[in-house]
Parts: sequence; structure tokens; C-alpha cells
Amino acid sequence: MDLALSDFLNLALNGLAEGLLVALPALAVTLVFGVARFPNAAVRDFVSLGSFGALTAHRLSGGSMLAAGIGAAAAGAAGTWLGWRLAFAPLLRRKGLALLLTSIGVGFVLRAAMGLGFGHEIKLFDLPPMRAWRWGDLVINPLDVFVGGMSLACVVLVFALLRFTSTGRTMRAIADDMDLARVVGIDSRAAMTRMWLLSGIVCGVAGLAYGLKTQVSPESGADMLLPAFAAAVVGGLGNPLGAVLGAIGLGVLQELSTPFVGFTYKIALSYVAMLLVLLWRPQGLFGRAQGVR
Amino acid sequence: MNRLDRRQLLISGVTAALLGSRGAWAQSQATFRIGALNPVTGSGANFGSGMQKSIVFAAEEVNAAGGAAGRKLEVFSEDDQTNPNAAVLAAKKLLEVHRVQAILGTWASGVSLAVLPMTNTANVILMHTSGAVALADPKVNAKKLAFRYQGSSKHLSRAFAEAARKEGLRRPAVMAQNNPALAPHAEGFRKVWEGAGGKLTDFVLYEPGRPSYRSELQQVLRSKPDGIILSAYVADATAIVRDWGQLGTPMKWIIPGFGANVDFIKGVTPEVAEGIVVVESVVNERSSAYARFARQYALTMKQAPESNVYAAMCYDMVQVLALAIEAAGPGADAVAVAAKVRDVTTGKGQPVGSFEEGKKLLAQKKAINYEGASSSVDFDDENDVDPTFAAFVIRAGKWQRAYAING
Repeated sequence: MDLALSDFLNLALNGLAEGLLVALPALAVTLVFGVARFPNAAVRDFVSLGSFGALTAHRLSGGSMLAAGIGAAAAGAAGTWLGWRLAFAPLLRRKGLALLLTSIGVGFVLRAAMGLGFGHEIKLFDLPPMRAWRWGDLVINPLDVFVGGMSLACVVLVFALLRFTSTGRTMRAIADDMDLARVVGIDSRAAMTRMWLLSGIVCGVAGLAYGLKTQVSPESGADMLLPAFAAAVVGGLGNPLGAVLGAIGLGVLQELSTPFVGFTYKIALSYVAMLLVLLWRPQGLFGRAQGVR
Repeated sequence: MNRLDRRQLLISGVTAALLGSRGAWAQSQATFRIGALNPVTGSGANFGSGMQKSIVFAAEEVNAAGGAAGRKLEVFSEDDQTNPNAAVLAAKKLLEVHRVQAILGTWASGVSLAVLPMTNTANVILMHTSGAVALADPKVNAKKLAFRYQGSSKHLSRAFAEAARKEGLRRPAVMAQNNPALAPHAEGFRKVWEGAGGKLTDFVLYEPGRPSYRSELQQVLRSKPDGIILSAYVADATAIVRDWGQLGTPMKWIIPGFGANVDFIKGVTPEVAEGIVVVESVVNERSSAYARFARQYALTMKQAPESNVYAAMCYDMVQVLALAIEAAGPGADAVAVAAKVRDVTTGKGQPVGSFEEGKKLLAQKKAINYEGASSSVDFDDENDVDPTFAAFVIRAGKWQRAYAING
């Protein structure tokens, strides 16, 4: 089939939209990894929890997006805070593997609880019908613009928080060296609590974005865990900017590849890209050799 | 453990005794044990709970009528998560721990294909609602212990081709989820359609669980079809049709009922769904079995019974199984019961609409033919029912019956 330039641009736009969607959970994965040093498999379930928070608030408020966002962030933050207090805090100094297994367990419990509380049926947001914007052959979906914009805003806020506030500085300090941070008087537990709350809010907003684009169910976050991990690994685990750029890069690459490899193999391709990056730069594109920011 | 002390010895002794007695009890003929293995979670979640509850209330109905051949039905419920891996573990538990003699209500083809070898090995009956043609393969269903209550992909493909013809499509395209039921359904459609001299502009298989199918949709639309056959479940059908609604390109869609249910219509909005053609096997709405099922389903699930044709199939499974147990007589094993399934459902017997009715006639040594809630439940040589399909058109957010299709 002959493809015009506009077709490739459309594919790139689709990839960008998908990348921005994956960027938030990737950011959540990398935030936890940067500070607590383990890949948090429960991110998928915190994302689902955020979706439920968003959906509930959206329905209760009669369709307010602002309420949905607040509900999502509150649900995500409540989820990670509970997870931290009940499961992760007692294991603070353990090795990554113990924490990874704990996060898998936390995910199981959370998923079962959501199943009991909300049921397993697939739920959808009631959205008004929208029309795509067209510039010649270019097609842009208003929902993608909204979701992408929300995602970007969230990312920018997280960066600003990490960069310019004392909370961010303490988080970066314990990410560098927890013992040294304690020696200079940083309350590492308080900083960890704030990190978990932040990652919960990011998961919650991701849940809203994902719920708007797809569906809401206790398992709905599952499909986004592997792409999020891949993005975080490509970008360099622990590096927030890397995770976001990794997600966008993989998304665009994946969609642009479809005319050549088809729709079934585009997913495999993003993992091939991940493997190649790891062979070339084992620390990830933006990671430092020791994985320390 | 280094050595056994008295307490541990006692505990293990008691455990062994309990296990032994439970084993012996399992052998007793006072109950017939059924596993309800349904998609309570995963992509079949919109149907799974209703299917499971229908099995339970159908079994209660049978027990209230005095049980089958003197045996009470006992139901053990498991969630197959619409996932073959989870289903195999759950089936293993049902077969080895609960020692069930029949597993009812697997939905996804991948799940039924994974469970069937296990039920075959254990000489246990499997009744399912999956579409994959492979399930009727003489090698796969060698012992004829598996029964299909849903139209197979071959029926559904033919029904789709018929609907596409009736809708006047000349150059449709196909989009289908790449899984063991939907991809063969799409392939089957292509075979029937092209076999009759028709043309397709594009044929796209997409992977499930993606956040968006925009690129797939754009490729299909580039081929300028006059209609799209979409073989999808609710989540992906919603994402695809929602995207299309935003583009504003006129298009005739034909979607299977399991993909275009009430949640789909809500998700894409009734405006966008207006005019979409839905092909679905229809329940046997005039039967007394359907009336009874519908009343009980509405009571139990607080949902409209017509939203879950698979629950009606599950209801029929229990009724048929109980009649077959009754016909096989006291103490019959699963193989003997399976051999009676066709006798009580198919052929020239007196039509019956419930277990209770059939039981009375069987006691008088009369031949019976169960008329079910989901279909008339007549099995062909491959143990497949041949359901009636109908085309519906979505109007103002509701399915409206358009015409019957003979798959």
C-alpha cells in the first residue's frame, strides 16, 4: 500500500498519544525505583485504583473532569500510602527482590479488593461525542490532546517538584545515598512517605488517562505495566526524564513500524528496541553507570 | 523437619483420616459434582458472573425437584479469568480437589481449548460456549465428552457473510482481534465471502489490550471499504468505534453481539452507535425454559436477561446434564451420562422445558427432547448446537431486531 507522508505523520501522532499515556506509569515505576530501589509491580494496580477513583468521582459529580482528576489522584495516593505503611515500610532495608515480591503481593490484594468493591465488569466513562480535528490529512483526536496534555502537565509538575522544592531535594538526596542523607539530618521515612504519595498521584492520574482512553476494571492497568517497565528501563531506571522520553520514543517507534512489520509484531518491536538499547547502554539512555541520579 | 513429635504425628494422622474420608465421600453416589468455571474476570467479565449464578440457580432448581437419579447437584465455582493459564489451574483444582464430574461454562475459546484435554484425561464432561472450530475437531473431542452450546465460528462466519450480503456490502474490510476465537471467525468470514466471489479491501488482525487501535483503524479506512466487519470484544470494539466516531467517515459496521452489548453502546454513545448492525445468536425466547430462566436471572443479577445469552446457555447446561443423569440412572459415571445427552436433547422425543417436566416423562419411560432457554439445544454429530442468529440494528441506544439469519 502506498503511504503518503501524512500517513506517517498520523502514525507518529498516534505513537505520541500512546507514549504520553505510558509515560505516567513509567514515571511512577522510575520514581519508586530511584528512591526505594525496586521495580514496583503493583503500579498496574495503583493505576487501576486511580481509574476507579476517577470514574467514581466523575459519576458522582455529574461528569466533572476536575473532580475525576482529584478522585484519581486521591485514590492513587491513598493506595500507595497504605501500601507503603502496611507492606513496604517494614521491609525498608531489604533487598530489591523481597520488595519486588512484596509489590506483587500488594498488587494481588489490591486487585482482589477492587474486584470485591467494584465488581469485575468492564466499565466505561460516559463521554460526550467528540469530533476529530483535521488539518488536511492530519487527524487529531481531542481526547488524545486532553489526555496527552494532562499527562504532560503531570510530568512537568513532578519535575518542578523534584527540581525546585525542598521536598524534591530531600527525595533526590535519599535516592543518592540514604545513609548520607540521614547523617545530614534528612528524615528519610518522611521523604519516603512523600515519594510514595507522589508516585500514587502519578498512578492515579495515569488511571484517569487510561480509563478515559480504554476501560475501567480491576485488571485494566495490567496491559500498561510491561510497556511502562520497558520505557523506564530504556530511559534508565530511576531517571524520571528518561522514563518519559523512553515512553514517547517507544510509542512513536512502535506505531511508525506498523507499515513494515504489521500490527501483531509492533509490540515485539518495542522490546527489541529495549534490548538493543540495553546492549548498547546497559544503564539506559539517560541513566548513569551506577543508576544513581 | 528432623523428627516427628507426637503432636505432629497426631496432626498428620488426623489430616490423613480427614483426607481419606473426604476421598471416600467423593466416591459416594449421593451427589453429582459440577465445576462452574466461568470468566468472572478478564474480557469475559461482563458475562461470567451471570453465567456462574445461572449454573447455581439451575442446580438449586434441579435439587428442589428431588435431584437427578437420586443425586443432588453440588456446584463448585471457579474464575477462569478469561485466561488459559489461570483456567488450567482452576480446572486442576476442580478435577483433583473437588473431583467434579462435569465442568460447565468455559467461555473463551483459548480457555476451552486448554481445559478440554484435562477433562478428557479425567473422563469428565465439558460444556462450553466457545466459538473455535478446533473444539469440534474429532481428535480434540475424541471422547465426545465436550458439548458446545454456542454457535461455532463456522456458524458465526456464515451468519456474518449473510448479514454483509443483506446489508448490501460490496467491498467490506475485516478487523479482528488476534485470538483463538476471533481470528478464525474472521478467517472463516473471508473464506465464505471470497468463496462466493466477494472482495475484501483489507484484512487486519490486531493485538488485544492496547490503549488505542487508531493506527489499525486508519489503515483499514485508507482501503476505502463500504463496511467493516469487526470481530471484537467490548473493550476493543468500544475503543475502535469511538475513534471512528470522531473521524466522521460514514461506515457500515457489523459487530458480533458479545462485542456490541449495552456497555459498548454507552461507551461509544448512542449517537455513534446508531445504525451499527449486530449479529448475535438469539435466545429461544418463546420457550418456557427461557421464561423461567429470565425471571430467575433478573431476580438474581438485577440485570436484563437478554444482555447475557451465555447465562441462558449455562442454565441449559445444568438442565441437560440433570436430564442426562436421570436418563443414565443411579450411579452412572460421567461417560455414561455424556452418552445420554443427545438422547434427552435431540430427536423425536416429547418436548420438555424443564428438568422437572422431563424427569416425570423419563419415569414413564418416554423419550424426551429438551427445548432450552438459549436455543432448542439439538446437538449435531460434532456435539455442536446450531443456534439461530439474528441481525439487530442499534437504534436510539437499543438493539432492534432486524431479520433472522440462518447460520
